[in-house]
Amino acid sequence: MTLGFFVVLLLSVIRLSTPMFIAGLGNMYCERVGILNLGAEGMMVSGAFAAVLGSYYTGNPWIGVLCGMVGGLVAGAIHALICVEFGGLHAISGLGITMLFNGVTKFLCLSIFGSTFTPNVAALQTTKILQGLPVLGKYLGALSPLVYLGGLIAVISYFVIFRTPYGLRVQMVGDDPRTVETAGIDVWKMRYSGVLICGLLCGIAGAYMSLGQLDRFFEGMIAGKGMLAVIAVKMGKWEPKGILGTALLLGFFDAVQLQLQINGVIGIPPEMLQLLPYVAGIAVLSMQTGATRLSALDSQYLRNKYKF
Amino acid sequence: MNLNSFKLRLKDALVPLILIFIAFLFSAVWISFMGKSPLEAYSALFAGAFGSTSGIVNTIKKSVPIAFASFAVIVSTKANVFNIGAEGQLAMGAFGATMAGIFLKGLPAAIHIPAAILAAALGGMAFALIPALLRVKRGINLLVVLLLMNNIARFLLQFFVLDAFASDNALVPSTDRIMESARLPYLIGPPYRLTIAILIVLAVAIILELFFRRSTAGYEMRAVGLSPEAARYAGIDINRYMLLGLLLSGALAGVGGGLEILGNHHRLYIDFSPGYGYDGIPIALLSGGSPLISILGSLLFGALRTGSLTMQAKVGISDEIISVIQGSLILCIAANYFVKYLLNRRRADKKGKEAAK
Repeated sequence: MTLGFFVVLLLSVIRLSTPMFIAGLGNMYCERVGILNLGAEGMMVSGAFAAVLGSYYTGNPWIGVLCGMVGGLVAGAIHALICVEFGGLHAISGLGITMLFNGVTKFLCLSIFGSTFTPNVAALQTTKILQGLPVLGKYLGALSPLVYLGGLIAVISYFVIFRTPYGLRVQMVGDDPRTVETAGIDVWKMRYSGVLICGLLCGIAGAYMSLGQLDRFFEGMIAGKGMLAVIAVKMGKWEPKGILGTALLLGFFDAVQLQLQINGVIGIPPEMLQLLPYVAGIAVLSMQTGATRLSALDSQYLRNKYKF
Repeated sequence: MNLNSFKLRLKDALVPLILIFIAFLFSAVWISFMGKSPLEAYSALFAGAFGSTSGIVNTIKKSVPIAFASFAVIVSTKANVFNIGAEGQLAMGAFGATMAGIFLKGLPAAIHIPAAILAAALGGMAFALIPALLRVKRGINLLVVLLLMNNIARFLLQFFVLDAFASDNALVPSTDRIMESARLPYLIGPPYRLTIAILIVLAVAIILELFFRRSTAGYEMRAVGLSPEAARYAGIDINRYMLLGLLLSGALAGVGGGLEILGNHHRLYIDFSPGYGYDGIPIALLSGGSPLISILGSLLFGALRTGSLTMQAKVGISDEIISVIQGSLILCIAANYFVKYLLNRRRADKKGKEAAK
């Protein structure tokens, strides 16, 4: 156990927790406006595939990330339309988003590339600018720029939620939409904005998984990361700091199982190691105490014209 | 969230048909996006599923696990829980049946087959136990756990098939074959190989209908689903029925996976289920909670899964389009309130016009 080992493990933890962290921040907006989002997984898949497509056709990974954001946004818009406008059940809509985008991306991948994975594309696996820094540059430069983007989003989110009028309204809508409407605030606009921001951030998280960690898309690559993000939000008590903490914890288990696999610990088959992050996620969720503070979460709020 | 708000009454029988139509329409967009003719694709799909005797038999065969998955979802929604973990429970049921089929030796078929089916039920039930206990004891979000359990099931299946019980002489990674005595007898022999599994499906559907309509436990479970608060007030132990509902649900999904192994594959391999457990979800929601009606839905999805293979071969459209149809169908179901609203408004308009005359 040398210092080098810990640095490798730390970098691995940061790399693996980033998608859960960014998607978790998105879900924070979504849940705070009262919409449950089981579709995070589907939004991430959509973002991941759109990012690879963008990078494949333009050769520029940053355009890929933009495409990923659009991909996530499209999925988010569908979720918003169903849950905010049409008064649908959030859980079923989220499930549908996940299944639809798993299907659509696999279908498109097979139709365009003729296999369940894409060729390698231009990616953003390292940050070139930071590599020039003395001492730490070697380590900081080894992370994708999207990791730093995630950190930036977290700081911005913290200020938006706790320091701006918009953020206060977001908090209120998740608590008591009826009173908020009485105060003259457009509940539906707030809810739309929350779900759309969520789609955007999940798209970035997906783009990070396909372009930041790897340089291609393959079927089933998100593999429950979206669900772990949902857990991170609940466990993190809907605050950026808490979400970061839980995401790092879940990422730690993922990193440990990866290291154990690479080092080939004798006697434990790789499939059983791969279970570890999911088991950890369930364990973390089951440690949750008390009722949710968001009393309007998973509730319908219909416009008057849709009532019958 | 109250899932029983989905109950589609018979006079709303139009709604499921409209939703299915929209889902097909939406998928047609993707097909034409790939430069193929949707009409050609869907007619190839239809021909594949119903155009020949073997097509029809395959449709019926594939509908068996799908029907069990939809029973599983129906039973869980009656108890006001939403079992979206049927895929994982199905896989564990298949594993249970395989184990009983391989390692129980020297039994006559009349005992071996029921024992293997029981093992399948126990496998599915055991896998539903953890989320059920977490829900009842800790009150945590079941849906998140169930979706994670599906991921876990996939890795467990890989472990069983690639590692723990891997067969030495198989072309694709799989377990050994199950004993002759555990295989389901044929109703129609080779080349069609239709087993008695379809009779089991019918029997279970009828038993479930009777259970919910005629028995006290079934009645109380429905009461929990319709209004947990009222049920609690009436002195019904809600947690007990949630637990019972989920365990029964897991057992049903497990039997579905088990029958697939005992009847069709005779060995367990990783991709034995192309997503039967997920197929059950839209069917259950559209069938309005009736197991007998859900058999019709299962036949539809069985036809899709059979016909899509023909479609892939003939028109060159990946059979993944089924997942697109499935996902968009679930989204349509989620938006069904809006469809109902549109229908209602038309009715109201008509009434208004008649009144004006």
